[in-house]
Amino acid sequence: MPIAIGVFVVILLVVLGAVLVYRRRPPERAARWHENDRVEGTYAVLLASTAAFLLYLTFTAEHRVDTLANRERPAVIIDVTGSKWEWTFTYPGYGFSVRSGTVGRQPLVVPAGEAVRFQVTSTDVIHSFWIPALRYKHDAIPGSVQITTLSFSRGVFAGQCAEFCGLRHSDMVFTARAVSPAAFAAWARGRGSGPTP
Amino acid sequence: MRGGAIPILVWGTLLLVLALGNWVWDAKPVNGAAATAAVLIIYGFGVAVWLARREAIRRGPPAPRSEPETVPQSSLAAMLIGLSVGCALFGLVWTRFLLYFGIAMFVVGVGRMTIEVRAARATRRKVLGEGEQP
Amino acid sequence: MSVATRHPARFPVIGGWLGTLTSTDHKRMGLTLGVCSLFFFLLGGVFALLMRTQLAQSNMHFVSDNSYNELFTMHGSTMIYLFVTPMAIAMSLYLVPLQIGATRISAPRLCLAGMWTWICGGLVMQQGWFASGGAGRAGWSSYAPQSNGINTPGVGMDLWVIGVILAATGMLVMGGCVVATIARRRAPGMSLLRMPLYTWTALVSVLMVVGSFPMLVLVMVLLYIDRHGGRIFTGFEGSIDYQDLFWFFGHPVVYVMFFPYLGAAAEAIAVSAHKRWFGYLAFVASMMMFAALSMSVWSHHMYVTGGVTNQYFAFTSTLLLVPAGIEYFDMIGTLIGGAIVLRTSMLFGLTFFIQFLIGGLSGIFVASPVLDYHAYGTYIVVAHFHYTLFAGSIFGFFAGVYHWFPKVTGALLREGLGKLHLALMAVGTNLTFFPMFFLGNDGMPRRVSRYPTHPGWGTLNELETIGAGIIAIGVLVFLFNVWTSLRRRVPAGDDPWLGHTLEWATTSPPPPLNFEAPLPPIRSYAPLLDLREEELDRARERAEVTVGG
Repeated sequence: MPIAIGVFVVILLVVLGAVLVYRRRPPERAARWHENDRVEGTYAVLLASTAAFLLYLTFTAEHRVDTLANRERPAVIIDVTGSKWEWTFTYPGYGFSVRSGTVGRQPLVVPAGEAVRFQVTSTDVIHSFWIPALRYKHDAIPGSVQITTLSFSRGVFAGQCAEFCGLRHSDMVFTARAVSPAAFAAWARGRGSGPTP
Repeated sequence: MRGGAIPILVWGTLLLVLALGNWVWDAKPVNGAAATAAVLIIYGFGVAVWLARREAIRRGPPAPRSEPETVPQSSLAAMLIGLSVGCALFGLVWTRFLLYFGIAMFVVGVGRMTIEVRAARATRRKVLGEGEQP
Repeated sequence: MSVATRHPARFPVIGGWLGTLTSTDHKRMGLTLGVCSLFFFLLGGVFALLMRTQLAQSNMHFVSDNSYNELFTMHGSTMIYLFVTPMAIAMSLYLVPLQIGATRISAPRLCLAGMWTWICGGLVMQQGWFASGGAGRAGWSSYAPQSNGINTPGVGMDLWVIGVILAATGMLVMGGCVVATIARRRAPGMSLLRMPLYTWTALVSVLMVVGSFPMLVLVMVLLYIDRHGGRIFTGFEGSIDYQDLFWFFGHPVVYVMFFPYLGAAAEAIAVSAHKRWFGYLAFVASMMMFAALSMSVWSHHMYVTGGVTNQYFAFTSTLLLVPAGIEYFDMIGTLIGGAIVLRTSMLFGLTFFIQFLIGGLSGIFVASPVLDYHAYGTYIVVAHFHYTLFAGSIFGFFAGVYHWFPKVTGALLREGLGKLHLALMAVGTNLTFFPMFFLGNDGMPRRVSRYPTHPGWGTLNELETIGAGIIAIGVLVFLFNVWTSLRRRVPAGDDPWLGHTLEWATTSPPPPLNFEAPLPPIRSYAPLLDLREEELDRARERAEVTVGG
């Protein structure tokens, strides 16, 4: 992000500078040079190095998010099922589910500070399981179970379907509540029937 | 005409290299098929240009041409053909009548196109004939 | 140099309006296609204004949910299939033969048939509005299974699919004719590396059209079959296959929607800086590389599906910054040392480069899978592609319009109105699309007809709606400029800007066979500038001789 802003500012200043310096000269005074392979070649190498650097950053981050995260032992496994236009969150370890979307309004409760494994699927069209505060989403595709492991800090987070799924895509929302592991365990053992922690 | 096939074939080769990279890293059949198709289409185009004139593969600026060329002014046939394809596919969804009407219009269009092309060729022969007279 | 002779045809030449519609003159075809595309631009713009009205505040009910879904689908489809891409082809149809010194395009009748197929496609697609259930409404990318017969039933969606097939086929045919023209009809002396910039950008664009549009036709045919009983895009594999096939077309098309306008902006800048474009060889090489890379990055639209190898596509997508950076280097190299005239075409060209930079940098951002996990499906992506396509390409388009309007019509566009047009559009564009980065970052998804009352969302959306209105006023100013410039003509002459390339060596507008006088010698990619520089040198020598005695 800062690189992007830096690049933009530099180019903007150079362009504005060039325009200010070189305007209103008579056409005969325009310079004739029109290439400089050495400078351009150096610049291309610079660009390629920048690309390599960005790729290094991206590959390491992706490895962390996609591969390493899923290798951790999760504290709880939650099945996420998207359908038009409702999210169903099932806790197979505890034997109950909650729903949120156009019909249900129950929150997705998770333990904070621990690895939570989501097994994401859909019953009809492609939806996308998205929690903006975690800067993460994953598609829910019918015919597959996508596994992703996230960890939450304590708080309340909005959730939203992020893949167009028809008439009431706007309403396919949910709320995630990350609470202390003890509160979560108590709530889950009560099969979600007690008050929301 | 000279050199015309070169950028097409060069670009096709770039595509081929990148497609191979994709295959090596991630061999998904649907991707392989799509990339192969694209490479074949581009190479096919380049080869067709080359076959039309051998010099299309040679480097250098085009040489001056001296034979007359025909420049058609208009083509009712082309419009009919384009409209007929649209009509037929529209009829596929909307009403069967339009599908049959479109097919008929297509046939008429192809017929008229034959006439137009032959007329153009006849005009060209006539011009060449006149040019050869002493 | 060919001599034009007219010979009576076997049957009478068609005159009048039917003559224009059946004309195989590349200039007439380019203009017809261009005018039709402009009409669809206005239509797509109306759709956008309706969408922005609905989104001006949270939970508005200006349009129903179903209507909104139709609107965003038809806005995207109309803009992509019926405006930006065909307009690029229209400009190429008009300009390429002139720039390469040809009298006509290759296969003009085939090209005309393609144009009419495209016109049918546009009309058929819009017919959906009159169908029960409504027009296409599964997004311009119409993912399966959302777009299948169960989830989006009805004739309107079928018409959308057929419309896309027709429009794509038409553009494919026309693009093929442009490739053949560049391959076969360059004037004597115009080797490939003496072709003008715009022609090179047109060439790589139509190569991408020829390489990728068949895939669109195929996937739409398969979608049609899928909608009518065939079980093609089923299950996980089916969903992923649809996206793989669609985006194999869908990514190159955005570069087709970019390169010609880049070429137009580059020509406008070079001519208005009175300096030939810097780094021509690097530019050509990077264009070819850019275009080839664009055909191998498509799965970056699918990072969140779990069905693709994110790393390979992150690699190719990030590499795109190399040719892009070269272009910017070349632009700056052209400006430095030039004699810059800040006419409207130059200003649009400069604004194109600066605004596109925002789009391009945000593109590098979403090229990274981990960053895309956050940005996908949000207004960040909407901001990214509107910055590249609208703040970028369309500004390049207008640079081309102000640059070439005198050549096409023989009249100059008003500079004052032009600058007003630019100012309104620049303000409106940034006001509309820049806040979208923040909205998306904050969690607003795309393709939603209503959004909840989050802090700041209402204000930002209102600002965006105002911006859209300002854009609309800018477009009206442009249309007024065109109308008044044609009514009270200021004759432009053959070469009002001291152009570099062959189209300026003929009358404005050009005669039917393009060049009536012999062509100037072609020794570089700026033949007219070469002549002018030679003139200058000779005049200086004469002056020195006189002075020296």
